[in-house]
Amino acid sequence: MSDRKIPRLLQTPAVVLLLIWMLIPLGMTLYFSFIRYVLNNLRRPEWTTPSLSNWRGFGNYEFVLNSKDFLLAIQNSLFIVGSILFLTVILGVLIAVLINKAFPGQGIVRVLLISPFFVMPAVNAVLWINMILDPVLGLQGLAVDAINSVIDGLQAAPLVGGFFSLWPDFQPISFRATQTSALAVIIMVTWQWTPFAVLIFMTSLQSEDQQQKEAAILDGAGAWSQFRFLTLPHLARPIAIVVMIQAIFHLSLYAEIEIVSRGNGNKNLPYLIGEFANNNIGAASATGIFAVILANIVAIFLLRMIGKTLME
Amino acid sequence: MGRIVLDTVTKSFGESQVIPPLDLTIEDGEFAVFVGPSGCGKSTLLRLIAGLEDTTSGKILIDGDDATQVPPSKRGLAMVFQSYALYPHMSVRKNIAFPMRMAKLDQSEIDARVEAAAKSLNLVDYLEQKPGQLSGGQRQRVAIGRAIVREPAAFLFDEPLSNLDAALRVGMRMEILELHKKLNTTMIYVTHDQVEAMTMADKIVVLRAGHIEQVGSPLELYRAPRNLFVAGFIGSPTMNLMTGAIAAEHDATTIGIRPEHISVSATEGPWKGRVGVSEHLGSDTFFHIHDTGFADAITVRADGEVDFKYGDTIHLTPRADVIHRFDAQGLRIA
Ligand SMILES: Nc1ncnc2c1ncn2[C@@H]1O[C@H](COP(=O)(O)OP(=O)(O)OP(=O)(O)O)[C@@H](O)[C@H]1O
Ligand SMILES: [Mg+2]
Repeated sequence: MSDRKIPRLLQTPAVVLLLIWMLIPLGMTLYFSFIRYVLNNLRRPEWTTPSLSNWRGFGNYEFVLNSKDFLLAIQNSLFIVGSILFLTVILGVLIAVLINKAFPGQGIVRVLLISPFFVMPAVNAVLWINMILDPVLGLQGLAVDAINSVIDGLQAAPLVGGFFSLWPDFQPISFRATQTSALAVIIMVTWQWTPFAVLIFMTSLQSEDQQQKEAAILDGAGAWSQFRFLTLPHLARPIAIVVMIQAIFHLSLYAEIEIVSRGNGNKNLPYLIGEFANNNIGAASATGIFAVILANIVAIFLLRMIGKTLME
Repeated sequence: MGRIVLDTVTKSFGESQVIPPLDLTIEDGEFAVFVGPSGCGKSTLLRLIAGLEDTTSGKILIDGDDATQVPPSKRGLAMVFQSYALYPHMSVRKNIAFPMRMAKLDQSEIDARVEAAAKSLNLVDYLEQKPGQLSGGQRQRVAIGRAIVREPAAFLFDEPLSNLDAALRVGMRMEILELHKKLNTTMIYVTHDQVEAMTMADKIVVLRAGHIEQVGSPLELYRAPRNLFVAGFIGSPTMNLMTGAIAAEHDATTIGIRPEHISVSATEGPWKGRVGVSEHLGSDTFFHIHDTGFADAITVRADGEVDFKYGDTIHLTPRADVIHRFDAQGLRIA
């Protein structure tokens, strides 16, 4: 018995510390979510201090559920996370497989590929929205202008002019607009996190058994079959890891959303919490509890789906 | 059908020539074994035949057709690797079915062949398991099953048994031989274990540094090794080689006599020595004899009943008709 007691005893401080670390913020959030608690209210100054006498029951939750942005925030959270996962995994696998072959300049290419990961999220967002995606000054605007002028030129040309005059003038897309701001966030986060996926997939590819490949070649498997039946199953575990880690990270995206459109047309739960927290701490806390629930649903879903791969 | 001819084939990796020009013919249905010390190019040669490496020059003919430029999958050869190279994410059934699936055979045909192969290799109970759940011997059988179902013109084995323990190795050796008798397909088998070579081969190819030292049946190589290298390589324990005056008596630079061709006695015999370490195998005993005056140590094989103690004086009688003679170049004198 004492064999077991001693390690338990030694673990206790760490476990207790962790519990405190988690339980106190969670407990406070729960408490605030059930009371009226605002930072500033001239008519009802008693609401500005947290107190049980301001008990509101599920009132904050109702308020959040009925607020016009809540559904949008949930939808957007899932849409953004899902799209980023999808794109980073696909791009990551493709790039990793491509640069896994030996070629001249391999070292430099790899360093360049990894570098987006070291850019700060806010810097990343500013760079993309101002210098690349901006419809006038960004690369996008310049590229659309260039394409339009080429088409203009072709319309004047003899022979093919008739065909090209059927083409419309292309319009640059404004990524700060309501309909497209989520896309901008997806693009910039994908750019930043694809290197992470590439890095993990590449290490995994290097541990792939070469004799299996040779056996497959002799068995008549072409490049695609080798990829489909050997490489992809071999990558199942790293893909699961990439999906898990990114899902956790991207549910709490904030900087990019703030910088692209200040939440205009594109809020996720953390951003909604931020907006409420400008004054209404009670509603912000209730949203926080919803975010915890959403994160747990996503986690359970992911564990069901890919946890098995990890345990194998 | 599977007659394989190598015509002045060479292979270089960068500057270093691993296989100097080499000619070799393996007849249809033959069991050919490549032996040689580590790094002599056995695997490279096998991979050249399989098409996994390109020849630097020369031609490879399979059934008379030039296959030098033919991609590996079109050569109709199946290979079994030392590490088995099974596909870890697929069940045994899918592993065996894989080459047929790649060849787009009918599902019913695939199922039939998988069942047949599994039955002949005792794998029926394991078809739904993953390779990771199998023992080494079972994995090797799956690898062989995957090779059989393709009905190849020839099988290539690269040290398939070297990861198995001794008892299993003997068992698998017999299974492979039986398979050869049953299918009557050409097999090329790489090993550095000369016992495997002697017991399995129709034809042994002894390699050293990419050169073929000798080609022949196991008994030819045993009875008439073409040079000192083959003499030392084939036979266990290795042949005793002696130089100097005793060799000159036989008009040779070096003479060789196998341990099993020397008889021992406590009292009579032309050679005399002191018994060193002895190895008792039960049926046989190997004595290492010192102080004979013409070699550091001579190994002799005696019956298991014969008893000599460390340090005893011993007399030896070589069988005169099986003394091998070699000249100054190390070549056999007929
Ligand atoms: N891809 C390669 N690149 C460069 N050198 C190679 C390559 N493959 C083999 N070699 C060299 O070719 C020589 C023969 O190698 P090979 O693998 O054929 O030997 P082997 O007879 O199979 O040895 P073992 O019994 O240890 O398996 C070795 O000296 C090895 O260093
Ligand atoms: Mg080898």
